[in-house]
Amino acid sequence: MKTEPINRTSMWKFKLSAATMTLIPAAVGINYVAKALAEGLKLPVWLGSLGTFLASMLAGPVAGAISGFINNVIYGLTLSPISTVYAITSIGIGIAVGILHARGWFSSAKKVFVSAIIIAIVSAVISTPLNVIFWGGQTGIAWGDSLFAVMVANHLPVWLASFTDEFVLDILDKVCVAYLAFFIYRQLPQRMVRFFRDDK
Amino acid sequence: MTDQSMLSDESAGKSKWYNAVDPITKLLFILDMALLSFAGTNLIMEAGLITAAFLLLVFSKISSTTVKALGFSLFLIFTMLVIQGLFYSKNQTVLFSVLGINFYKEGLMYATTLGSRVLVIILASGFFMVTTTISENAKYLEQSGLSYKTVYVLMSVCYILPEIMGNMRKIQQAQRVRGVNPQRTILQKLKSVLPVLIPLVIKTLDQSMTRSISLQLRGFDNPKRKALKADTHYRLAGMWHIGLTMIAVVLIGWKLWTKINGLF
Amino acid sequence: MDEDKRIVLENLNVRYSGMETSQLKNININTPIGQIIGIVGNSHSGKSTLCRVLAGIIPKIISATISGTYTIAGRSPMDDWTAFNTSTGVVLQNPAGQLSGLADTVADELAFDLINQGTSADVISKRVANVAAQMGLTDQLRQKPESLSGGQMQRLAIATAIITQPQILIMDDPTSEMDPVGRQQFFHWLTTVKDTTVFIVSSEIDDLCEVADSIWIMSEGELVSQGSPQDVFNHLSPEWQIPTPTVYQMAEKMNWRLTGDVFPVAAEELKEAFDATN
Repeated sequence: MKTEPINRTSMWKFKLSAATMTLIPAAVGINYVAKALAEGLKLPVWLGSLGTFLASMLAGPVAGAISGFINNVIYGLTLSPISTVYAITSIGIGIAVGILHARGWFSSAKKVFVSAIIIAIVSAVISTPLNVIFWGGQTGIAWGDSLFAVMVANHLPVWLASFTDEFVLDILDKVCVAYLAFFIYRQLPQRMVRFFRDDK
Repeated sequence: MTDQSMLSDESAGKSKWYNAVDPITKLLFILDMALLSFAGTNLIMEAGLITAAFLLLVFSKISSTTVKALGFSLFLIFTMLVIQGLFYSKNQTVLFSVLGINFYKEGLMYATTLGSRVLVIILASGFFMVTTTISENAKYLEQSGLSYKTVYVLMSVCYILPEIMGNMRKIQQAQRVRGVNPQRTILQKLKSVLPVLIPLVIKTLDQSMTRSISLQLRGFDNPKRKALKADTHYRLAGMWHIGLTMIAVVLIGWKLWTKINGLF
Repeated sequence: MDEDKRIVLENLNVRYSGMETSQLKNININTPIGQIIGIVGNSHSGKSTLCRVLAGIIPKIISATISGTYTIAGRSPMDDWTAFNTSTGVVLQNPAGQLSGLADTVADELAFDLINQGTSADVISKRVANVAAQMGLTDQLRQKPESLSGGQMQRLAIATAIITQPQILIMDDPTSEMDPVGRQQFFHWLTTVKDTTVFIVSSEIDDLCEVADSIWIMSEGELVSQGSPQDVFNHLSPEWQIPTPTVYQMAEKMNWRLTGDVFPVAAEELKEAFDATN
């Protein structure tokens, strides 16, 4: 089975359908569970945007952006306050995935790799200023931060060091998540794909 | 971190003082505290803000969630002190040396300022986290005029998460019975996630389909819908909102003003 | 014929978008409202799809290619969806999915449908108490909905469907997760329901024979038989692979027949047949 690019009249749906309304909390739940699984297996990636990816692929960039936003707000207000500000990054990821998917960039394994790199760039570009404002440029992940320390010690600009720190982490994470989402999306029953895609 | 902390509903006990403060006031309080801590680089002021937020927590209650959030941040702040103390670009004055390695005053000050801001935000958020319940927030948001749909999209995850976690445990148990080999490489580990994630995602999305149909059948979007009055009574909510919003506006305005002036 | 008092399906065909074959083929029904109608059939026979059509889910919520007509008591979901929807109560197959996903307690979950209709608070609390008592959930009213057992969850789903006092009740396999006692209580409750048209999909043939006024048998998307339980189960075709009721099997073994040379399908009829033979 091949996933085909979706022909929508428009991928920009700002009025939430009842299907999208229940999809978003599910997507946030999937984000949470995927993150918990990755932590449990001590994977070097977060996987915490899997649900956002799927929401974008199923219902478009707006649904994905809202899923990402709510994910960080709820996470911030219940578990880890600073993660709230990274809601902006999650919105960016949701929009990027939605556009790429609508344009057919999730249709084959090769294209998914390109998509993953673009998404990682988007994510790192938005996260870097936040990392600088809140953490002086660090990400809080040991090996990324050691890279950061080495670069700063060699008098490279902070923003470059911080971007590199974030990007190396993001590229690994987003490649993993993109392939997981690609693979899972292809396993979804057609009735489900149709249900969430329907404009009503 | 467990799903419990995301769902720490306190049982309906006797009302405490902080129950009379509405959730939006508490959120505006976080915003104001964050803005205040970003307004300047004065460490005494930061210390004051940290103390204020900390005392507020002490007089309400301290939960393990706040301690966990603090623990992670304190570790990051520590690494920040080390990295900035050693390598901050404006480092000039050596403050102290450990084993011949110089720690600089400028970097340490910079890291301390950033760290203080993070602590202010965490402690101020901690007050919100431990003194409001998910159901209180959901009800209050609808009372304040948000549509049921918006409240649903925002809050429903807190209600359905236990179900998703339950489904995950069931699937994991089934996988364990089938016998899964121990995974070593990242790729193997990632592949081992799939047999759990695929059925879980399908099950979760299937539930949302049913839920979407059911909500429509049950008439959630009926224009006649009238949310019931909540039993909680908030004191001076309107006054708090106006006051705290004005503080926020002034702080943002002042920050922008000084930035613009700084350009010329 | 008074259209306002009848259930009418004419040449109804339903095919889900993207599917090759039709899920419902040429269904024709013309029968009075106010009955309890049991819908029986194997898996993938079209029972659930028929329920979705009866509830208006198809085509109002799930899109499908649909031809033919459907009216119940003169109403069609296509004419005035809100009015139609308000007049129906629906229990879906998956009880957990039916919960709102934003209720703290069982009581809140029950109140949801009434709040949506703008009902006043005192009416809500009365009806919640009443429906909880009917479904044996009074002790669970303060509990979280997700803490309920499968059977309790199903009773809650039924309670949410009946709390708005609908004229039409559509239930897709509402007892699948109940224990035998719960199931018995449910079918007993069903006999007490007044002035309501009930459609119930179930594989509990013995119970259906006791309570249903009519039985519809579905096979491969077609409505292959309809009539009184006695009539339908005395004329089963082996192709449909529908088991006969226990009462029928006993009577057949004992050769206890009713007048008209048919076997009984319900306990009362069994007694009648026994008395007639002896």
